[in-house]
Amino acid sequence: MKLKYTFHILGAKFISFIYFLGGLTYLTFQTFYQALKPPLKRRRIFEQAKKAGVDSLPIVSLISFFIGVIFAFQISYLMTRLGSEMYIASIVALSIVRELGPVITALVVAGRVGAAITAEIGSMQVTEQVDALSTLATNPIKYLVVPRFIALGLMLPILTLYADIVGILGGWLICVFKLGITSSMYWNIATEALRFKDLITGLSKTIVFGMLIALVSCYQGFNVEGGAEGVGKATTKSVVVSFILIIAFDCFFTALFYFIFP
Amino acid sequence: MTFGKSKLELKVGIFVFIGILILVVFVLLIGDFKNIFSTYKINFTFSFVNGVRVGAPVRFAGVDIGDIREVGIMPSSNGNNPKVRLVGWIKQDIKIPVDSSVWVNTLGLLGEKYIEIMPGKDAVNFIPYNGELSGNDPMATQEMGELAKSIAVKLDGVLVGVKDLSKNIDDGIERIKRQEGSLGKLIYGDKIYADLESLVSDIKAHPWKLFWKTKDKPQKK
Repeated sequence: MKLKYTFHILGAKFISFIYFLGGLTYLTFQTFYQALKPPLKRRRIFEQAKKAGVDSLPIVSLISFFIGVIFAFQISYLMTRLGSEMYIASIVALSIVRELGPVITALVVAGRVGAAITAEIGSMQVTEQVDALSTLATNPIKYLVVPRFIALGLMLPILTLYADIVGILGGWLICVFKLGITSSMYWNIATEALRFKDLITGLSKTIVFGMLIALVSCYQGFNVEGGAEGVGKATTKSVVVSFILIIAFDCFFTALFYFIFP
Repeated sequence: MTFGKSKLELKVGIFVFIGILILVVFVLLIGDFKNIFSTYKINFTFSFVNGVRVGAPVRFAGVDIGDIREVGIMPSSNGNNPKVRLVGWIKQDIKIPVDSSVWVNTLGLLGEKYIEIMPGKDAVNFIPYNGELSGNDPMATQEMGELAKSIAVKLDGVLVGVKDLSKNIDDGIERIKRQEGSLGKLIYGDKIYADLESLVSDIKAHPWKLFWKTKDKPQKK
């Protein structure tokens, strides 16, 4: 009896996952279609760009800065034993530009902006404002999803650039004031190690991350059931799903960029 | 919809502008782009490069002046082995004398390979764009091992000889210690010493003996 119950739960989970996948794909296609259809609400895109990009800048910078500092400290422990402190600069620069900058930025934005999107759309859904939009002949996807989708897709690479530079600055602080590497040497080694490909791959995947965050958050917002409690649940779910998808896609991109097309 | 000068647009605009600025700085600073405008091409030909890869640094008198962008193999032509062609991009302001010598060297503890150019003395003729510089081949690890082995074998033979020699010497010294032979008697025997002492004491007692003309004596007799 218990086994049957377990399978029942597993099957229900699987079916709900398939529903989620289908719904997300449908939303993605709808969003692309609506985004390419002419009248684009520029004002709403700007609003979302400010919310997602400008307002996220302080926290993204702060976290990235600390990541840079921590990273430089951790590597210096090993590198001073090997007597090659100089390479700290290149390791910090490479890992931040390739992985840490994009992923940390995406995670912070998913937690900060994605949750807000879900809560916003979710409470609109609960109070039937989304249905009201439809009755006013306004496509809710065009009005609600497309601006967020475009804003996040455009803002995340820019945020990542800030995160990259601030993270490398954090490493610089440690190298110059703690390890006694000269400033010019740090910048020289850091930039020498970077390749154009590192920057391009790091930035291009954040575009996908941004779109992913927008789509998942909106999807969870539209699918809120019940009242205020449902909004809370959906918000949690949206952040969790965004995190998982970001990490999974990052793994995929890393494999794609560095192993399949090296 | 007015596209005015609202605070919102200003903020987003500043944000994006600084972002683009950072991107430009990044692109200009990045290793690839640093030298892209002021470099020229040089081909290095080797018979063997011991694992040089694209991106390996090129050093001129120990200074980084560029990197390898291409590694290709030229097919063998009449009677020659296939050659390896490395295409290096060198900073424009570095002039490489034509009689410079080139070889593959190893960098650091990870064994990264790089191209070392030892500058020649020619102050007039420099390698032009797309010029050719043929390198001194590094020794393959296997070859090096074989050489080391043959040296070891020879050294072993020499050592055996040295052993024999030292054995003979030991023997000789042993015999000398036993006061055998003239050297043994000279060093360890007391006879010469006693003779010398008696001679000296004799002379001290009778110094006039030094002026004794032994040659005349028999004639007088």
